[in-house]
Amino acid sequence: MIVLRAMDKIMTCAEFQEKLPELFESQADLGAQEHLKSCEMCAALVRDLEYIAAQARLLLPIHDPSPAVWEHIQQAIRRGDEPDVKSVSAGRK
Amino acid sequence: MAVERFVLMNAGPSQPRPATQHLRRNPPIAGEQEAIQRAQSGDSRAFETLYAMHKRRVYSLCLRMLGNVAEAEDLTQEAFLQLYRKIGTFRGDSAFSTWLHRLAVNVVLMHLRRKGLPQVSLEETLEPAQDDGPRKDIGARDLTLSGSIDRVTLERAIENLPPGYRLVFVLHDVEGYEHNEIAEMLDCSIGNSKSQLHKARMKLRDLLRTGQRKEQIA
Ligand SMILES: [Zn+2]
Repeated sequence: MIVLRAMDKIMTCAEFQEKLPELFESQADLGAQEHLKSCEMCAALVRDLEYIAAQARLLLPIHDPSPAVWEHIQQAIRRGDEPDVKSVSAGRK
Repeated sequence: MAVERFVLMNAGPSQPRPATQHLRRNPPIAGEQEAIQRAQSGDSRAFETLYAMHKRRVYSLCLRMLGNVAEAEDLTQEAFLQLYRKIGTFRGDSAFSTWLHRLAVNVVLMHLRRKGLPQVSLEETLEPAQDDGPRKDIGARDLTLSGSIDRVTLERAIENLPPGYRLVFVLHDVEGYEHNEIAEMLDCSIGNSKSQLHKARMKLRDLLRTGQRKEQIA
């Protein structure tokens, strides 16, 4: 890979990807990055990472705990247990 | 104890919060306010109501952070028992769900610390970066992920993340906490939280692409 350090606007893939976490966090417009205009590989990477973050935000709670959890909570409250010492799985053993 | 400290800090009005994301994920619940007040005065039916309202969210949070059903159930139980003891200290400075979730996050983190596992300590030396050099291996013609990942696939990939990556990813990208909050919760630097998040997303991309390739072969 040719490193064009003299032209400081053009980065290698390695340099671009090293800067990527920072670019994401700065909310900068990634589309304006020169490197992405000429590098399909890094453009695909950025699209994927943005897509993953966007999909994660859409995840919703989908699981209910088993009814045993509430039963154990009730039992612990009745006994006046400290919550740190008893647990569902300890009860199972 | 650290949990007390976190809860007290969370109760402060100056604490930054992921207000938008959290509100979207946790819209106000009808009847919650009344149930809180009744539970605060010792009404056990009202506490049961609060449990019914919040059990799914708290459990899902624990499950995603831990990746293990038995532990997630234990810690859901522990979180609600702490809620039972501490509900009198809830002042309504923040949304109840925000307060409760922070309590649950702290319960999970305390548990992980007690187990003495390195996953809470995010110092990078403890998790040698496996393959985070530049991605030269993926040809431009290779498919991108966009539009192709369903929720179940993503959930499964998150489960398969290394524990340290998973914590930061779930807290930031799923739950909507900011890096400064995560750094405080995990007792690491903000830069560390940011770099772990980036590595988590990179790892997820690998997992999701590998899954896609396998699907195509099959
Ligand atoms: Zn590139």
